[in-house]
Amino acid sequence: MSQQATQQSVYSSNLSVIWNEVVKNIKTLFAYPTIIVFWAIFPIFWFIPFILQGEAFVGGLESSSFAEITGTGEYIPFIVIGAILSSYVNTLLYGMGENIRKEAYQGTLDYVLAAPCNKAYVLIGKAVSESLSSTIFAISQLTISVLLFGMNITLGVMVPVSFIIILLILGLYGMSLLMAAFSLMYKQSYDLSESIGYIFYIFAPVRYPVESLPIWAQIIGKFIPLTYALIIVRSLMLLGTDLSAVYLDVITLLIIDIVLLLAGLYLFNKIEKKTRKSGIISHH
Amino acid sequence: MDKRKRKHRLREVNCPTGLNWSNLKAELKAVWESYIKDWKIEFAYPVSFIRQLISPIVYLLPFMLYGIALVGGRYSPNLEQIVGTGDVVTFTFTGYMLMGFIGTAVWAMGFSIRRERWFGTLESIYVTPSSRLGQVLGMALHSTVHQMLGTIIQFIFIYVTFGIGLKIEGTLPALAIFALMMLALYGFGIVISALGLILREGWVVSDVLYSIMMILSPVAYPLVVLPTIAQKASALFPTAPALIGIRTFLMENYHAEAFGNVFLHLLLLGTAWILFGVLVFRLTDGYVRKRGMLKKF
Repeated sequence: MSQQATQQSVYSSNLSVIWNEVVKNIKTLFAYPTIIVFWAIFPIFWFIPFILQGEAFVGGLESSSFAEITGTGEYIPFIVIGAILSSYVNTLLYGMGENIRKEAYQGTLDYVLAAPCNKAYVLIGKAVSESLSSTIFAISQLTISVLLFGMNITLGVMVPVSFIIILLILGLYGMSLLMAAFSLMYKQSYDLSESIGYIFYIFAPVRYPVESLPIWAQIIGKFIPLTYALIIVRSLMLLGTDLSAVYLDVITLLIIDIVLLLAGLYLFNKIEKKTRKSGIISHH
Repeated sequence: MDKRKRKHRLREVNCPTGLNWSNLKAELKAVWESYIKDWKIEFAYPVSFIRQLISPIVYLLPFMLYGIALVGGRYSPNLEQIVGTGDVVTFTFTGYMLMGFIGTAVWAMGFSIRRERWFGTLESIYVTPSSRLGQVLGMALHSTVHQMLGTIIQFIFIYVTFGIGLKIEGTLPALAIFALMMLALYGFGIVISALGLILREGWVVSDVLYSIMMILSPVAYPLVVLPTIAQKASALFPTAPALIGIRTFLMENYHAEAFGNVFLHLLLLGTAWILFGVLVFRLTDGYVRKRGMLKKF
């Protein structure tokens, strides 16, 4: 009975760690309203040039060559979906690594790591808050895009799309844990995050169909969770297919998620112990 | 005690003022030292240096591959109808080649002062008897050379992968246009670096300005696809006339969409942006020092 009570107490303490980390990060975000406005609106400015480029090259809103490769000639929704899903990469991948660095800059990293709790829960709290803010920003960008470019969205498709976004977020959590681990060890996680961001940007079909890449580059793209998320979401939203039609991609995405999460948790715990032992935890 | 005080007063430094050859030489030396310092910092982080060198390719490729996917090859009849040439690869490359230099103005110059603040060296720089603009210009020079290296790598990559046809005889006038554009961009960069002194979230302003400039510049599309008001607004920034001018000299069959004399246009813009930049910088600099805001961030 008492063992069960202790277990329950540990469980609620861990939940409390996650909750407080989420509240802290949301409070920090609200302290900078300019940043909220920026992420809610301005990423749209990054893909407007692609829409204008389409208009200039094609002379209309549909391209037959594009339809041959992607199944849809409408390039605007193709670009919008790519931009919104890749915004999760921007916030989660850079956000987590930088979050750890920020704690070090603010001089609070030592306290966070000395707290009597499993650090993985602190990271889960950070990841949950990053996903929450990313989702709010994504909804805002999608709403503006619908109003601005007259995109048609069926509400019924949003349930399976949300499921795929959750799977993407899980994969990115795994990568973020890896980033956070490197951030603890090597301090400069920025270059690593940027380089991984480049790989995502080039080898995943963010702006163009994956078939536009040479075969070797398509193979690299197959290891990126964003590739599958984009293929599935575009199939659901633009081609009107069912989730069962893309079940192989869903399973592959799930496998990549599991591998990334396990590798991320293992490496983070290992590097955290190493840095605590060597005493380099507060160096920056 | 009194003697020591007097001695100390004798050693006071008189800041050089006025425009003469000796002061100009001293300021140029300060710009050069700032330029060298930036290279030294850059080489201290080799991974970051290499990553930044290949970034022009990373940001250009999506425009290129997307354009090719849209038209099913490298020829667009619609583009040819608008500007006289349908080669999407050469059109996009000549446009994006210059975009990196906007980054010089917006990011490198805009963050020169901000970066010193992060490093904790801003106050030391502020008490040196030289112009603060020297620091900004040193960083601008470093960033321009850095971007040129990136553009050369970008050119080689695109030439080898896709092949591009440029008119060699147009290189000299294109370089003259480029120099005039950089002059105006430096003025623009000075304005942003001044904003970096007063705004806590300066990167937001920089990113917004960069995005707006990117949309208003005919990088991957001709100006005519923009709404009329945006086309008119693009005349205020140097990139639109520079891109049109450079394409006129470098691309076969390309006919300019707007802007009469690009040389005159850019000369006027350059003068206006530099004067405006120096004015804003001086005002902000004085305001920040008066309010004791230098250390806040």
